[in-house]
Amino acid sequence: MILRWLGRLPLAVRVSVLAAGLMVGLGIIASQQVLVSLTRSQESRLRELVRLHVDGLSIALGPAVLREDVWEVFDTLDRASRAGEGRRMVMTAVADSEGLILAATDPRNAPLGSPLSALAASARTLEDLEVHAGDERISVLAPLSYQGREVGKIVTVLDVSDLAAEQRRTQLWLLLGNVASTLLLALAGYVAMRRMLRPISTLAGHMSAGTGGLELIPEREIPRGDSEVGRLLRTYNSMARAVHEQAEAKRRLAERERFVSLGRLASSLAHEINNPLGGLLNAVDTIARFADRPEVVRKSADLLQRGLGHLRDVSRAALEQNRLDTSDMPLRAEDFEDLQLLMGPEIQRQQQELAWEVEAGPACLDGLPAAPVRQIALNLLLNASAAAARGGHVGMSVRRAGDALELVVEDDGPGLPPKALARLLSPEPTGPGPGMGLRVVRDLVAALGGRIEHRRENAVTVIAVRLPVPGRRDAA
Amino acid sequence: MQPALSRRAFTLTAAAAAILPAGPAGAETPIRFGLTPVFLDNDAEVIDLMHAALAEGMGRPVELVQRRTYEEVTALLLEGGVDAAWVCGYPYLQHRKALTLIGVPVWQGKPLYRSYLIVAPDDPARGLADLAGGTHAFSDPNSNSGWLVTTTDIIRMGRRPETFFARSIFTYGHRNVVRAVAAGLTRSGSVDGYVWEVLKLEEPGLAGRTRVVTRSEWLGFPPIVCRADRAGEEGIRSLHRVLLELPQTETGRRTLAALHLDAIADEPPSVFDGIAARMADLEAAG
Repeated sequence: MILRWLGRLPLAVRVSVLAAGLMVGLGIIASQQVLVSLTRSQESRLRELVRLHVDGLSIALGPAVLREDVWEVFDTLDRASRAGEGRRMVMTAVADSEGLILAATDPRNAPLGSPLSALAASARTLEDLEVHAGDERISVLAPLSYQGREVGKIVTVLDVSDLAAEQRRTQLWLLLGNVASTLLLALAGYVAMRRMLRPISTLAGHMSAGTGGLELIPEREIPRGDSEVGRLLRTYNSMARAVHEQAEAKRRLAERERFVSLGRLASSLAHEINNPLGGLLNAVDTIARFADRPEVVRKSADLLQRGLGHLRDVSRAALEQNRLDTSDMPLRAEDFEDLQLLMGPEIQRQQQELAWEVEAGPACLDGLPAAPVRQIALNLLLNASAAAARGGHVGMSVRRAGDALELVVEDDGPGLPPKALARLLSPEPTGPGPGMGLRVVRDLVAALGGRIEHRRENAVTVIAVRLPVPGRRDAA
Repeated sequence: MQPALSRRAFTLTAAAAAILPAGPAGAETPIRFGLTPVFLDNDAEVIDLMHAALAEGMGRPVELVQRRTYEEVTALLLEGGVDAAWVCGYPYLQHRKALTLIGVPVWQGKPLYRSYLIVAPDDPARGLADLAGGTHAFSDPNSNSGWLVTTTDIIRMGRRPETFFARSIFTYGHRNVVRAVAAGLTRSGSVDGYVWEVLKLEEPGLAGRTRVVTRSEWLGFPPIVCRADRAGEEGIRSLHRVLLELPQTETGRRTLAALHLDAIADEPPSVFDGIAARMADLEAAG
């Protein structure tokens, strides 16, 4: 859950949070270690204190206990409990070798002659004394030795609440100090990571910025020096520049291709214009010679009108092909007529047969832009015509197929070489060579969201392009 | 009792005594004066004052010798370890033949004091008989007020002193008896009435934690004695004079005031007849 939530955060935040988290973890471990050793040292200090206290009493009381001198024992305890360190002593009772109390700091609760065992029940011996940090009172049972033999027993209850309080205080301050320094370190880690990772954020921002591809990172945002991040950003910039240049080159190539296809048509178009010119000039000559014969003049004028009309159509189609690119004209049936007109001379020059079948109505065509569709069709037709060779067959059909417009271009040529096929069907770079027009077709179809199918049936190459017709207005 | 403190005080005063101006010929030998827990022996100021008063008055060094028990001081006195000592009437009478009086303190106008039987304030006891079977604190086995009085009272009741109390202890100091009873170490105690009364004035917090159950008859106040065969010595005579003249000097008056005494006077041995009577009872029982 938290991991998923973390996963959604930006990298810079995640790494910074991670650094802060590690610092906090380190702080906790360090605090734990210090607390453990502090507790240990306090426990050993406490144990030492208890031992010294009991040893001191033992030395002072030994002779008096041996003589069972009740007053000496009491007087020693009484004075010990009033002296500095004795303030720790909550209660001490001393018994003779029989286990009967000789004297206690509080004789009313531990009367002379009563058994020590009642008081000793909760007391531990010095050997198995377990001192816990935080204990407020410690009860110890120890033998009283004098001249090498045990002459009695002592039970002493020590007040160590001041040590416990001191420990709690130390722990509190230690904890507060560690928390504060940990938070400071965590903050520093966070800030440092943020700073270090800022170029990465910049990089990510630039990579995903806009739709127009990669955006260059301004030089001032690139860290100075030869750091990895600096190198990364500079590498990114050079890659972005390369991508830009590539896109530009591609655009220029497509532009050129458009002219190339027109260029390939140019000589046949020139013939197309030149051929009728002889007839037209003859008609002008006839008119000049037989100006007085109205039927001849009218016939020649008709001839002139038709010839000039054809010339006008051809030049208009050529101009259109060149001009449409920049306009946003919708596709019309006339565009296919233009194409037929443009292709006509080339087909004739090659003495080929062109099967032309346009069945799509305006409703279907209207949703598509004219320029790319015309370019697609023209490039495919020129390619088919080139493949079909002299006297071959070229076919073109346009029809509606469901929600799409289908253009099918076929020829009875030898089929597309693999390199040309790759250009048509895949976005992989193929290097320089013929058939660049097919790559333009692929890019244009891809831009329109369409797809290309290629098949070869009965020695005929069939290329079918399906272009989805977007947002048909008449269906709304 | 704080022997360390009083020993240090003693050493200091002894050193001071050593540089006092020399008196008559042969006076270089210090007079040694024995003290016992009969009075407030833990009060360094009282001891200093007494030392100063004696040294000034006699014009020669004075050495104050403190011992824990009457027995020790008495032994010192008999063997010549001290020239004179302030002891209890009981040891004085025990060695009546060897010792002689050189002064008896006068307290509240009389050379007499009493023995008190004390218990804790909440103790219901109304007399010695009620304390039978309890624990008891005596001062010193050679003390009149701190042992003899209570022991002979038990004998006079027809009881045996060794079994009357379940357990008895000696504290070797009247103040210690008060401490033992006040702390609850023992149920009851036998104490010098003079010491208890002075404690009531000087340490009301301590004496106030005890209550007097019974008071004995008036008995001879613990006297200052010397060996009978040395009573004619110059030093002893000088000491005798100084003791009697304490009210006439500034230091002497301050000493007496600190001790809550009026004076030190010459009294006949008959002052101690009451103690002698008790001793006779004890002997008869023994």
